[in-house]
Amino acid sequence: MTVQLLEPELDRLEGLWSDGLSETYHAYLDSVRRFDPATQPKLALAAALIEVGVRLQGLGGRAAPPATLLMGDLCLARGSRLLADHAPLAVQVAFARAIESLASAAASAVQAAPARQLLHESLGATA
Amino acid sequence: MSPNRLEFATTGATEFVDITPRIRDEVRRTGLRNGRVHLQSLHTTLGLAVNENEPLLLRDFEGLLERLAPAGAGYEHDDFTRRFDIALDEPVNGHAHCRQLLLSAFATLMVEDGHLVLGRWQSVFAVELDGPRHRELAIQLEGEFARHGRDAAEALVEIELTRQLMVDPEPIASPMRRLLEAGGKRLRPRLVQLTSAIGPRDDPLRAAELAAAVELLHSATLVHDDYVDESTHRRGSPTVASAEGPERAIAVGDYYFAKATRLIAQIGNPGVTSAVAEALEAICASQIDDVALRGTYPGDRDSYMRVIRGKTASLFSAACASGALLSEANADVVGALRRYGELLGTAFQMADDVIDFSPSSGKTVGLDIKQRVLSLPLIYAAEDRVVGPEVRRLLAGSLGEAEVGRVTDLVTSTDALPRVREEARSLVEAALRELDAVELDGLRPALAGVARSAVDRSS
Repeated sequence: MTVQLLEPELDRLEGLWSDGLSETYHAYLDSVRRFDPATQPKLALAAALIEVGVRLQGLGGRAAPPATLLMGDLCLARGSRLLADHAPLAVQVAFARAIESLASAAASAVQAAPARQLLHESLGATA
Repeated sequence: MSPNRLEFATTGATEFVDITPRIRDEVRRTGLRNGRVHLQSLHTTLGLAVNENEPLLLRDFEGLLERLAPAGAGYEHDDFTRRFDIALDEPVNGHAHCRQLLLSAFATLMVEDGHLVLGRWQSVFAVELDGPRHRELAIQLEGEFARHGRDAAEALVEIELTRQLMVDPEPIASPMRRLLEAGGKRLRPRLVQLTSAIGPRDDPLRAAELAAAVELLHSATLVHDDYVDESTHRRGSPTVASAEGPERAIAVGDYYFAKATRLIAQIGNPGVTSAVAEALEAICASQIDDVALRGTYPGDRDSYMRVIRGKTASLFSAACASGALLSEANADVVGALRRYGELLGTAFQMADDVIDFSPSSGKTVGLDIKQRVLSLPLIYAAEDRVVGPEVRRLLAGSLGEAEVGRVTDLVTSTDALPRVREEARSLVEAALRELDAVELDGLRPALAGVARSAVDRSS
């Protein structure tokens, strides 16, 4: 999968691709093999956007400045739309629960499982 | 009995804050049909009064208070050498306490047939005597509350919101509960509920679940917005970011963003899930545009329209479309409602912009200007041949109280406010025309009512 094929999804986020999103995206490709080939890049990108999104926001750490937070919000929203349009319900629910878990841990000042681990597990969710 | 608190921030040493719209909102929100509203000041330098909201008269009142209890007239209360346990920041405010003695700390107002009973010229004021400060009034409503029809539908959403927050971790749920309990118009859930009764599959409980999830999603975006805009208060209460810090605000926003999208997905209608996800993405993209445009503040009409379509209209549109999709309405109906929602959302935002300039709204006048939030009246005033150059010059510099006040006066002196109000009404009529060609199972009057009340409002 090349960045050109993902380009419509990366509108406004091109800068992030070379700044870690590409690497994160590739880290999820192995976890999406069980899905239809056309769906695999969409789901890997969704997972990558969510991981990068919460990192940009500073969730669980120091709050990002407003402009960076908004970029993180956009990553989460775009990842969420990709899931809504391409993921089975069980995966959508698992992703949402992963974010809820990260946010809840952040608010309670307790250590959460790493985002990547939670999102990898979410991609394996079945009904 | 429905107890609550009205919170607000004052901006001047002496200030008459018209709280009538806030009280009307409480009457509406609680569904009080016949009874009484009791108000009590919780401060010794904040009074209550019922009188006419006429700016020159308010200056007369201020003058009267100054003559009766002049500031700095040698009050014993201000002689700190003779008092014990004085706080480091103890104000010199003997005059303010004495002035409060001339007013009342209590007020009781009657409600008949769901309406506050006030004479044509009567408004209810909280009178700040030692501002600026954050203030709180206790409010209790007692009497006969309506619980049928629309009230029952609204109650279903409130119950669903309460139910959802009950199972959430307290550090997350508590700030969201405060935000939800502080009020809000609940327009988006109302639109979901109305439109979900249009198609053949009308299920009020599923509609209430969707409506509550949409409200949670909207609230999650507000929590992040308030951090971005550095807002200290929303709906009269401290924002999550100001009360609990930006880290907590980010966590609360993320949690309810995720939870709302999960609840919507679990309803099991892919069309609904996609409609809301698309709106959320539009909101986030337009927030970035909004902040970027602050560099060329106040911007132009085209940029404004692009931003508010994403920021406000997209979720109105998705609320209408998703309700209709949930009820399995046909594609023509869904399309018409989607367009109705977008036009209504745009009109709603324009009405909000106008309210920012209204002293009787119960909100701080000029807050949009101070926070450099896009505002159509401001754009029109900046384009005005007479006052435009001064507006642009002021907006290019730092915006203190004096500058914001001057810009507000300049905007008010042009035709910008009536022009925007008229534009909003035209959009509502265009929204209603979208509904003409489709069968709505008798719901057109209700949708028309919601649309008109969204723009013809004072708060």
